[in-house]
Amino acid sequence: MKKIILLFLLFISGLVFSQDTKNDKAYKKRVLESIEVDFLTSYYNQEGSNASVTGGIGNEDLEDINPTIVISIPLNDDDIITIDLGISTYTSASSSNGNPFDSEDNSYRTASPWYASSGASKVDEWKSLNIDYSNSSEDRNTVITANVSSATEWDYESFGFGGGITKLFNNKNSSVTLSTKIYLDKWIPVYPKELDAFIDAGGNSISGFFNNRTVYNQQGIISSNWSPLTDFKLIDNKSRNTYSVSFLFSQILNKNTQFAFFIDLIKQEGWLANPLQRVYFSDRDNFYIGNPSSISFYTSKLNKDVFHLADDIERLPSTRIKVPVGIRFNYFLNENLTLRSYYRYYSDDWKINSHTLNLELPIKLSDNFTFYPSYRFYSQSKSKYFESYDKHISSSKYYTSDYDLSKFNSNQLGFGLKYVDIFTKLKVWEIGLKSVDLNYSNYKRNSDFKSNIVSMGLKFVID
Amino acid sequence: MKKFNQIKKLIFLPILAILLNSCASIKEYEKVNINDPDMELSQRQICRFETNFQLYREGSSGANGGKVGGGCGCN
Repeated sequence: MKKIILLFLLFISGLVFSQDTKNDKAYKKRVLESIEVDFLTSYYNQEGSNASVTGGIGNEDLEDINPTIVISIPLNDDDIITIDLGISTYTSASSSNGNPFDSEDNSYRTASPWYASSGASKVDEWKSLNIDYSNSSEDRNTVITANVSSATEWDYESFGFGGGITKLFNNKNSSVTLSTKIYLDKWIPVYPKELDAFIDAGGNSISGFFNNRTVYNQQGIISSNWSPLTDFKLIDNKSRNTYSVSFLFSQILNKNTQFAFFIDLIKQEGWLANPLQRVYFSDRDNFYIGNPSSISFYTSKLNKDVFHLADDIERLPSTRIKVPVGIRFNYFLNENLTLRSYYRYYSDDWKINSHTLNLELPIKLSDNFTFYPSYRFYSQSKSKYFESYDKHISSSKYYTSDYDLSKFNSNQLGFGLKYVDIFTKLKVWEIGLKSVDLNYSNYKRNSDFKSNIVSMGLKFVID
Repeated sequence: MKKFNQIKKLIFLPILAILLNSCASIKEYEKVNINDPDMELSQRQICRFETNFQLYREGSSGANGGKVGGGCGCN
């Protein structure tokens, strides 16, 4: 495969240097005429019954609101700086079950995988800042980009940087982009409460957090035998780094057709598992806290008051190599109709292979309005480290019950409406409204998971 | 081996397309349709939120000119 990729790169580079460039210095247009400001926001909700915090069963309800502002500023004829600032506020039923007890006044009421411990769902924020810079050459045949990014979450911090170069050739009919991105991320690890407390108490499951709390075995009999997996330890490497190299080739095929080919080579290393996600083993005895009479129907949604104590946290290899390959193909059918299509094949060394197909059919309703119906199909095989709730074997080295790494396929249907006014007739002082974008998508897995997302965007131009 | 053959096909298909078409040169004044905003070879900006949740909820990522994993506690 390496040879094929090398041959392909050589072929493309040959094309770059062999094409006619006599028309390149035709006309220099300012890359961005004026400052553009995008106000974007989305509302997302999901429902499911395979929460990974509770080992593959439980309520996955989650809601997220994500307002974002993107400001693109032309520094001169050739240079643009783009600032992208977003805050994602989410409430998650399963995240609060990191601690299966209520944390405040009701601290002895027990949760279940179906019933969040605090009564209300946990609220958290993800904040991100991206700054991109791009420089276009005089002849507009070379674009150099650089970017830095930062993001923080209650249990995660990220710092990223990268850059790239795009060469256009063949009278701007073809382009090649080579880019790289590096993320130096870090967990601020949050563990399942019972495991954290076990370590805090020096490996004692009776004192400390468990003082005055009763533990039951599978038969509902009081027991003091619970302990995590032998040699249980918290994570020792909090870093989670990602290194990627991306290659893109695009080609205009005729007056109505163009395509782009993408390939990424991605290496991740560090702690690639989530320390808050529980795992249960089928070859170890089960222990519970809460109401022993609910143990017999633990996996049922009727269970409101008993909680299975973890055997371990999710553990995954410290490296992961991903190779996604994608093709985007767009065809201008007529003045009212365009076909936008995308296909991706993905493979990694955790044995996940996936296919993604996305079709979008923009329909121009008038000079100002476009309707966007879309369909996306996704199918993936399971990671070799995945097993469902209470199915793992304790002698395994790596294990997860995160259903995002399970075998499934999904269908997503969506539609959008866009209003565009290229003359920005609607103005307040120097600020003109250029476009309004609305989008809705419904996503369903063949397992018990579904979600909805509504997005809105307003683009303003400042003269 | 099956996976290798699939990747091989995916790489050779665009090469074939390039070989067949790379000499075709469309002039700037002929690019009216190609320059239509809906013909852009990237996802629409409004779809970034969808891509973000897919990054969390699916095991795969990348090859779309956007995020490749990293930057979040996602897959």
